Amino acid sequence: MEDYKFLFKVVLVGNAGVGKTCLGMFPPGQGATIGVDFMIKTIEIDNEKVKLQIWDTAGQERFRSITQSYYRSAHALILIYDITSQPTFDCLNDWLREIDEYANNRVLRVLVGNKIDKEDREIPSHVGQDFAQRHDMRYLETSAKQADNVEKLFVQIASELMEQAKSKGISSDSPQSLPFNTRTSKSINDYCCNR
Amino acid sequence: MCVGCLSRMRPRYKRLVDNIFPSVPQDGLVKNNMEKLTFYALSSPEKLDRIGEYLFQKASRDISRKRNEFVMIAMEAMDQLLVACHAQTLNLFVESYLRIVQKLLESSEPSLQILATQSFVRFSNIEEDTPSYHRRYDFFVSKFSSMCHNNNPNLVTMEMIRMAGIKGIQGVIRKTVSDDLVENIWEPVHMDKIVPSLLFNMHTMKSKTDIVVESGISEEVNDKTDSFSLAESCLRELIGRASFGHVKSVIRPVLKHLDAHHMWVPNVFATQCFRILMFSIQSQYSYAVVETLMTHLDENGNASPKIRTSIADVLSKIIAIAANESVGPTVLEIINSLLTNLRTSVTRRPPSNIGLSESDGENEYREALIHALGEFAAHLPDYQKIEIMMFIMSKVPQFKSSNNPNDLHVQRMCLKSLLMVSTKYSSVQMNATFPQSFLDLLLKTLTASEDEIRFIVLRILHTLLDRHNNAPKLSKATVNITKSEINLEKCSRSDTIFIRKHAQDIYVSIYESLEMTNNTVENVEAVYTTLALICIELLSEETVLDFIRLILSIQELAITNAVLSTQQKFHLHGLVISIMLLVAIVTDLHPLKDYVEKVIEQRKLLSATHLLPELSIHNEVKSASLLPAGVLIEEPELTEALKASGIDITTETGPVLAHRRSWVENTNMSMKGSFTDLSNLDLDSVNSTPAMQRRFSPNEDLSFEAMKRSLMDNPVVRVEQNTRQTQLCDMFRNTSFQDLVAISTASKDEESLHSKITDVFNKVDISNKLSAVETTNQPIPIYETLFPELFAF
Ligand SMILES: Nc1nc2c(ncn2[C@@H]2O[C@H](COP(=O)(O)OP(=O)(O)OP(=O)(O)O)[C@@H](O)[C@H]2O)c(=O)[nH]1
Ligand SMILES: [Mg+2]
Repeated sequence: MEDYKFLFKVVLVGNAGVGKTCLGMFPPGQGATIGVDFMIKTIEIDNEKVKLQIWDTAGQERFRSITQSYYRSAHALILIYDITSQPTFDCLNDWLREIDEYANNRVLRVLVGNKIDKEDREIPSHVGQDFAQRHDMRYLETSAKQADNVEKLFVQIASELMEQAKSKGISSDSPQSLPFNTRTSKSINDYCCNR
Repeated sequence: MCVGCLSRMRPRYKRLVDNIFPSVPQDGLVKNNMEKLTFYALSSPEKLDRIGEYLFQKASRDISRKRNEFVMIAMEAMDQLLVACHAQTLNLFVESYLRIVQKLLESSEPSLQILATQSFVRFSNIEEDTPSYHRRYDFFVSKFSSMCHNNNPNLVTMEMIRMAGIKGIQGVIRKTVSDDLVENIWEPVHMDKIVPSLLFNMHTMKSKTDIVVESGISEEVNDKTDSFSLAESCLRELIGRASFGHVKSVIRPVLKHLDAHHMWVPNVFATQCFRILMFSIQSQYSYAVVETLMTHLDENGNASPKIRTSIADVLSKIIAIAANESVGPTVLEIINSLLTNLRTSVTRRPPSNIGLSESDGENEYREALIHALGEFAAHLPDYQKIEIMMFIMSKVPQFKSSNNPNDLHVQRMCLKSLLMVSTKYSSVQMNATFPQSFLDLLLKTLTASEDEIRFIVLRILHTLLDRHNNAPKLSKATVNITKSEINLEKCSRSDTIFIRKHAQDIYVSIYESLEMTNNTVENVEAVYTTLALICIELLSEETVLDFIRLILSIQELAITNAVLSTQQKFHLHGLVISIMLLVAIVTDLHPLKDYVEKVIEQRKLLSATHLLPELSIHNEVKSASLLPAGVLIEEPELTEALKASGIDITTETGPVLAHRRSWVENTNMSMKGSFTDLSNLDLDSVNSTPAMQRRFSPNEDLSFEAMKRSLMDNPVVRVEQNTRQTQLCDMFRNTSFQDLVAISTASKDEESLHSKITDVFNKVDISNKLSAVETTNQPIPIYETLFPELFAF
């Protein structure tokens, strides 16, 4: 018997070094991500277990072509910048363009300003907030280092996706529901495991 | 209720499954109980799906409790059941099985990931009886690709996970590729993951020795293979299974990867990659790889010349492989695409602040393209090479003088390509080498206004004419040559027919090219080589006379021409004497040889070295006058020498000569006056002497207007258009060389005789839509008319 009720795919994107890997709580010591990394995170919301497949992408330009191929099946995209680095914020528009091009247009998009533990902030909170609002994204500031807001980030994403999935009910032809495992595509809902 | 009752109420399959697990994991799978389970599954296949589901539940629980040994035992059991059961019901069992594999792959434990992969690979080798329409491998592709990029700090672990990833990908490919009903593995969403993952392992994996050094020897790493070769063989398998429609699905991500990882400059890896692809793809599709790479080149039009050069270089290294498999339209498409790129490169406007080095890069790019073209052509059968040469020739912009330097550039590039192809071609019979339309275009270009263009055309002629490798010895006009230095073979019948048929056209064009005022020493030397090769390859006693007439006409040109510089005239004299000597040697005309040697001696004697080779930019005049007495080849003596050699110049033999006025007769006529007049004149002053021009003023009856008028008046011609055209040509041919010379010398503008003829044709054409040979505006692409057989495919 599966021990979760929902499964969602979440993809982390953003410039190199903004803290995607830290934020996803991947095992430390691997340095810059190459290609794509993967892990499972299980979250309990209202006594229901939600399983998140986290795909952590490399920020380095040279891996862009392979990382893009992971956007398409994502239910949620977490776009991360470093609040102490203007260039990482300036690149957000480019990232959004990529997301528009490669991801499902109904993907849940969350903007995260990371590294709030640091003193040398360059992007004020409200600037990030504004940007997120203008582009129809959730916004959150985190410190991956001090685990500030990290849990909250994933819980929010999980519950929002769960709401969406529930409100769509049994409809099987939801465009977001790309098959994620070996089940038949006729299963009740691809967000949802059978049991 | 007691526990015992409960367990006795458990279904049989559950008990059988439970019993395969030992009480202590170290004992491993309980073998005889496994046999019982297998027997049960075989005899009650309808229970197989429940067995699978139950095994899955047990394994899930063990995974979450981190009881990895039990997980492994569950996996082993599943493997064995998979192999043992071939029933239709296997399908449902597989569902449970794959869920376990996925679950293990989701674990962050490297050993479980590797275990899952190993099992999956075994599974991928099992042929299932029924296709599983609904099965999806999306997760497996994503996860295995991710594993291919593993970055575990422990290098041994990293290598193992990466290898597992590659093997997993290989498994997915095997499982899906043969059956269209399952996941379409060729979808970009999969290929964009699979291909870069393989390539990444092909170029970034540290060598095995590094790993051994850094982390101590590991048995697993020292396995038969490493991730590099594994990835490579997987790529080979992938492209090898690609049908035509899938080739691009594989190649596109390859190109993307090479772009993203900046792997064009240097292009070692790119070349390696493409060679692997070319050698592994089903050979009939290999040109699709070439095509895709060429499209990529097109798309990189704005990339730096370095990158484009590198791509073109890769192209040149693989294009030969495709040549063997290419058929008609493909060949021309490839050639056309290369030519188009050349053209684009030529017409590229360099940014205003561009440095010299940048434009140099552009040149290298062009060279690379031409090289690619040559590589391609070299591996085509000879008959296709001719077709390609004709095709390229048809792409050469035809114009006499253009203000647009780009056009000239394009022309130069096309001809260079043609030259490249011609070097890969070996002539056997000249009539096969020079189909009429090809020869026509070549000869036409031989009279182009640019000396460089003419030079390239001459070089093309050299490569095509020279069947006996004489060209290197004949690169410069010389009077120091002996028969033994030349590789000679008796001229074949068909070659004799060829030269009879085309002598007039060829000679007229060569003559006209010598009239050009911008000829350099190199041009004249190249004409020497051309004439020498014609002489060696094509002349026999039957056909030597026309050739000698041409030489005499050239001497006449050197004496009488009003616009050539003195130095250019010297070069012509050097050319004339050299080639006259050669023809005497080659055709064994001893009296002629004696006579020519006498003239040479005379020139030496009178210090008229400026009339002898070596040709140089500035031949100094050491003799008392420019043309001292007895230094020219004179007609009466020549006639005598020819007669003595057994060549009867009074009887005109052969059908070609029959209806044409003899060159010698005409030359004879004009020479009478010219010698005496000229021998005491300073040639430079001749250039501006009006009397000279008047002497050669066009005969009223031979003007082109007159030609046209006579044509229009002829009722027969009005009826039969082809006849008209033929007559026009004939008229041109029959008009004596001297008269033609006169007409062209008299014309004030720079345009050559040839273009005048073109004008006449065009005027005639307007009303009756003659498809004249000289018309430049072809309504349909020339190549389609040139090779209808190619377009019949
Ligand atoms: N102070 C601080 N440092 C952080 C935080 N998050 C990450 N870092 C540091 O930033 C560096 C880069 O973090 P990663 O998580 O590897 O960055 P990434 O976005 O995964 O980078 P790529 O994998 O190259 O795309 C590491 O040295 C982290 O320790 C944070 O919240 N605060
Ligand atoms: Mg990272």
